[in-house]
Amino acid sequence: MKRHLIPSLAAAAALALLTACGGSSGASDQAAGGTQTIKVALWNYATTPEFKAIIDGFQTANPTIKVEPVDILADDYAEKVTTMLAGGDTTDVLTMKNVIDYSRFGTRGQLIPLTDEAKKLDAAKYPGLSSYDLEGKYFALPYRQDFWVLYYNKTLLKQAGVDESKLKNLTWEGYATLAKSLTKGDGGSKVYGAYQHTWRSIVQATSAAQTGGDLLSGDYGFFKDQYSMTLDLQKNGTLMPWATASSQKVTYNTMFSTGKAVLMPMGTWYASTLLADTKSGKTKVEWGMAPLPQRAADGQVTTFGSPTAFAVNKNSKNSDAAKKFVEWASSEAGAMAVAKAGVTPALNSQQILDTYFALPGVPNGDVAKQAFKPGKVVLEMPVSDKSSDVDQILTEEHELIMTGEKSLDDGLAEMSKRVKSEVR
Amino acid sequence: MAVTTLSAGTSRRRSSTWIGWSFILPNFLGFAALTLVPVIAALALSFLDWDSYSTPRWVGLDNFERMIHNDTFWTALKNTAYYAVGHVPLTLCAALGFAVLLNQKLRGARFFRTALFFPYITSLVAVAVVWNMLLSPDLGPVNQFLRAIGIDSPPGWTTSTTWAMPAVIVASVWRDLGYYMILYLAGLQTIPAELYEAAEVDGANGWQRFWSITVPSLRPTTFFVLIMLTISSFKVFDLIQVMTEGGPGRSTLVLSQVIYREGIVQGRFGYSSAVSMVLFVIVLTITLIQFQLQRRSER
Repeated sequence: MKRHLIPSLAAAAALALLTACGGSSGASDQAAGGTQTIKVALWNYATTPEFKAIIDGFQTANPTIKVEPVDILADDYAEKVTTMLAGGDTTDVLTMKNVIDYSRFGTRGQLIPLTDEAKKLDAAKYPGLSSYDLEGKYFALPYRQDFWVLYYNKTLLKQAGVDESKLKNLTWEGYATLAKSLTKGDGGSKVYGAYQHTWRSIVQATSAAQTGGDLLSGDYGFFKDQYSMTLDLQKNGTLMPWATASSQKVTYNTMFSTGKAVLMPMGTWYASTLLADTKSGKTKVEWGMAPLPQRAADGQVTTFGSPTAFAVNKNSKNSDAAKKFVEWASSEAGAMAVAKAGVTPALNSQQILDTYFALPGVPNGDVAKQAFKPGKVVLEMPVSDKSSDVDQILTEEHELIMTGEKSLDDGLAEMSKRVKSEVR
Repeated sequence: MAVTTLSAGTSRRRSSTWIGWSFILPNFLGFAALTLVPVIAALALSFLDWDSYSTPRWVGLDNFERMIHNDTFWTALKNTAYYAVGHVPLTLCAALGFAVLLNQKLRGARFFRTALFFPYITSLVAVAVVWNMLLSPDLGPVNQFLRAIGIDSPPGWTTSTTWAMPAVIVASVWRDLGYYMILYLAGLQTIPAELYEAAEVDGANGWQRFWSITVPSLRPTTFFVLIMLTISSFKVFDLIQVMTEGGPGRSTLVLSQVIYREGIVQGRFGYSSAVSMVLFVIVLTITLIQFQLQRRSER
């Protein structure tokens, strides 16, 4: 707190300027004996199993290339990579954590074009590939594709006498009724029928995907049904109040893995956490996966999600080896390695699904298999230069609606007004 | 003869100037590299459009124009002023009050001094998390206490747009008061005991002694505390970032957060530098006004 008058961030920005001019005298990358070393920027290496799976697999397939992970804290990933690139960093491969950051790096010419490599992939088998299309050019190849499903606690469901098959074709209305009936107890021993994490996407991206609404449009009437249901469930005590979850920084993993909530809409990435925690004995929860509830029970499953990709840094001194790595990660062999780590790969095929469901601990009944074949996966947030500004506004107004500081109608009107007037 | 004396004097003066410079050199180098150059760079950046990779583009006053028409900037400016208006006087009074109290020969005064200083050296994230727990709308001890004494609908604190800022101010006062209390304690040691003895002989009571001796004698300390507090209030970032992240909505969003979001998160370093220049000018102006007032009151 005892810094000088000057905002330290200005200092950071200027330092970045200085270092950018200096360029980077990166370590010598060509080691003796013809082996090459490439560096891969990634996050939480110890707790994100697919990174190690991909790196190990790639090194086995390419013994002359050594891969060195550059581990970054997940929460700071985008900021850290931005700062690194500003300093002329030569880390060869950059993981694109989300498509908004990707479009930022891509349009600013920080990544090597991979259009030819992308064209080699069968778009029908890579549902996430089109998200990386920046006016006909590709700068990254997806290796992983997450989408949202409904997790449920098998033990608590059985205790309440609800058959799992009921979840196979659930509507949001059915979800609300079921969650209400599953809520039990009071105070510290309360079990919530459902837990919806504090993120805006649970309400907003679901609405957008299932009604066909556009999150960047500035007209948000299509959020209304989903918000009404969520606010109603919060009011009657079926959901933990948003304000409590937010101020206590409640983690969804705690809510679900300790049996504090029976149903929980969440991304497929959570399955790999559950698998790892079950294996290490951290949790004993009996869990299952069902398709995300729908607006109508017509058998069509529409959900939302995001792909994750690898890209090659423009400053890379080993761009050929780096490209090889990126291509391998999204190939069939890479997808197998990812699936074996309990993560959903970008490549979608029956063989991959079989590999995934054969893993010990993965729930593999009908309901889970249904959950893994969504009819349509809509991108969580459309890619545009306006995405991050719109995201900020939608997040702020989401907080106000969920804490009851603004009525639903006022909140939706304010979202529209702000997106239309503030986003340029 | 006269000439040699003169030149000897000049060279002595010159060499002592050099010695003087060499003493402040290490500090000045650090200041120049880490503060002065970046500030000048930030000033230049505020007229550029720069995303940290591509070639900067001269945009003149565009960044400032965008800022003036941006609702979020004005909200953040208002919130920053609100925070400062709450934080500065409260911390000042609390620090002075505790310093006077703990300057007496009480049992356990040392213990309480340490206890009050502790928050200042505690990890900020821990402070923010604990305050969030205390102020939790349903389960927090603060609201449970308020309910117990008959307030049916206590405020939602960090989850309410009305109460979030007061909550943040209270937490920051608690955190900062220890440091300023130590400054005041040091100031109190310099007041000669004879003044109090004389006042006592003249029959002045406690309040009269406080207002007529303690407060005026502490004026230099108060001035220093006031300047430091004002500057730190306008620069507040960390506690708010951890406690509320500027929320709910934008009710606790302050200028430093706008600078961070626009610069580090969004990569708009030009715009972000423009906002930081505005913050710099505000802090500079207020500090100059305070110096002016201090000079006038000394006359």
